[in-house]
Amino acid sequence: MPANREVPLLARAPQGGPYALLTFRHPEVAHAARAGQYVMIKAGTSPDLPLRRPFSVMTVDPAEESFTIFLKAVGTGSRALADLRPGDRASCLGPLGRPFTPPPEGSEALLVAGGYGIAPFVIFSEELLRLGRSARVFYGGRTAGDLQVRSAFADRGVPLVPATEDGTLGHHGRVTQPLEAYLDAGAASPALYACGPDAMLHAVARLAARRGLPAQVSLDPWMGCGLGTCLGCVVPIQRAEEARPRYRCACTEGPVFDAVTVVWAGEGSSLARRRALEETPA
Amino acid sequence: MNLAVDVAGLRLKNPLLAASGTFGYGVEYEGILDLSLLGGLVTKGLYLEPRDGCPTPRIAETPSGLLNAIGLQGVGVRAFVKDVLPRLAPYDTAVVVNVCGDTVEEYAEVTRIVDDAPGVAAVEINISCPNVKVGGMAFGGDPGMTHAVVAAVRKATRLPVIPKLSPNVADISVFARVAEEAGADALSCINTLLGLAIDVEARRPRLAFGTGGLSGPAIRPIAVRMAWQAARAVRIPVIGVGGIGCAADALEFMLAGCRAVQIGTANFVDPGVYERILAELRDYLHRHGLRDVNAVVGALTFPDDPPPLGVRE
Repeated sequence: MPANREVPLLARAPQGGPYALLTFRHPEVAHAARAGQYVMIKAGTSPDLPLRRPFSVMTVDPAEESFTIFLKAVGTGSRALADLRPGDRASCLGPLGRPFTPPPEGSEALLVAGGYGIAPFVIFSEELLRLGRSARVFYGGRTAGDLQVRSAFADRGVPLVPATEDGTLGHHGRVTQPLEAYLDAGAASPALYACGPDAMLHAVARLAARRGLPAQVSLDPWMGCGLGTCLGCVVPIQRAEEARPRYRCACTEGPVFDAVTVVWAGEGSSLARRRALEETPA
Repeated sequence: MNLAVDVAGLRLKNPLLAASGTFGYGVEYEGILDLSLLGGLVTKGLYLEPRDGCPTPRIAETPSGLLNAIGLQGVGVRAFVKDVLPRLAPYDTAVVVNVCGDTVEEYAEVTRIVDDAPGVAAVEINISCPNVKVGGMAFGGDPGMTHAVVAAVRKATRLPVIPKLSPNVADISVFARVAEEAGADALSCINTLLGLAIDVEARRPRLAFGTGGLSGPAIRPIAVRMAWQAARAVRIPVIGVGGIGCAADALEFMLAGCRAVQIGTANFVDPGVYERILAELRDYLHRHGLRDVNAVVGALTFPDDPPPLGVRE
């Protein structure tokens, strides 16, 4: 059950450029958060705007009753959080949302991250290791400076394949290219997980549909409340049993969705497309 | 110390209600806050049938404001009555159902269904939503249509009837009087202000619907002024709503003549807002040597003659 609290910032670790790791004390998040869940958080305790912002839980420390988020300061809400000093307070509701579902035994989890979309995969790789599943991270960004927190995976012995669009680190190009190469080389019953920009999520969803692989994507639309009441973050989702898509709250029914049910901008869901193909007489 | 207020024949344990469209159907907050803390809650607007609402993006932040075009996405009144209403029964709070319609007859039909359901304290009439192509603000912006909708809802129920007025009119006191004449028991003032935010890089509106309704602290002085005008124009109670985040904000509306207030956008910012406002309200009454919150209602004084109300006599 999520809890609404005023939380102190315990630690702040700048990561270069606009990036920082922020650790807050919040017992419920620390004890109950699952990989893929998030918190709604804002600097200070004012009831006035701006709204809280959603951040994936990156790690938890139940002993210290704390959790850590990976922050990129881009707008008013995230900049105010980046400016907090240890001891300063934030208002925070969490843990929220539907987590990642781990793959079945014998399956390899391929975690595809873009930019700050890496955050939930730190806690997820811990969960996968606990479950005895193998995991591999494909991490893409514009430039080397965007590929933060890589050591978190090295420390846990999780292989990580970097890709940058400018070629400053790892594969020169999109992150889906080394992913495809790995799949072509014969990965054993892979399951895809993706978190990052919409275009990357869409590319992973297409790739999974083409190869008939299971895929879960963590969507990141603009969220207002985290509780399904503002209805601002809805995304069109079409489940197998449904005749047409329905708007569903990414905050409560997601942020993690089965990629096959997501209706991407400009095209139907891959489920609907597959069904249309099946229904087309040969 | 008394915080209870009487509005439209309803006794509310305190003057704070959750505003329609900012609190879901209430059950979303189970486990996060005690719903029995609230004087009442107003549900998301309900039509006869489920609605998909507007395309996305639906919300955009503006300075001290939130612009939205949700378009009244909802489960429909029958699903609400069957699945949601029983879950609200354990809580000691007034459940006010916000009713919508594309036609006058739909408003009446939704109201009849609500009237038959147990556990509903009152009906709020949505004649002011700016984000639907028919109904909504189109009704609330026309005195004749306002009268027709309020009268039809009045006939359809024994429950108190509370039209929610639109601020997107030249003189809200005209609409306040029309609603009173048509049989309203109280008024909610105000709904969101029609706005337009533009993404200058893309040269497109920031919301998919185009325009939206502005809420939040940015609109509070306008809302207080309009609630004040409405309260001066009618004998029925007025419920103030618009940008309330703390007790001082709520007290502005009450001093201006409102018997109760609704909390809207602040629900999104902090679901713990009720507990804090109630504590601040008690502190205010204590500091001012008052034992009853009703003592502040309409206690606004002007040092000189009050400014003109803008009422067309």
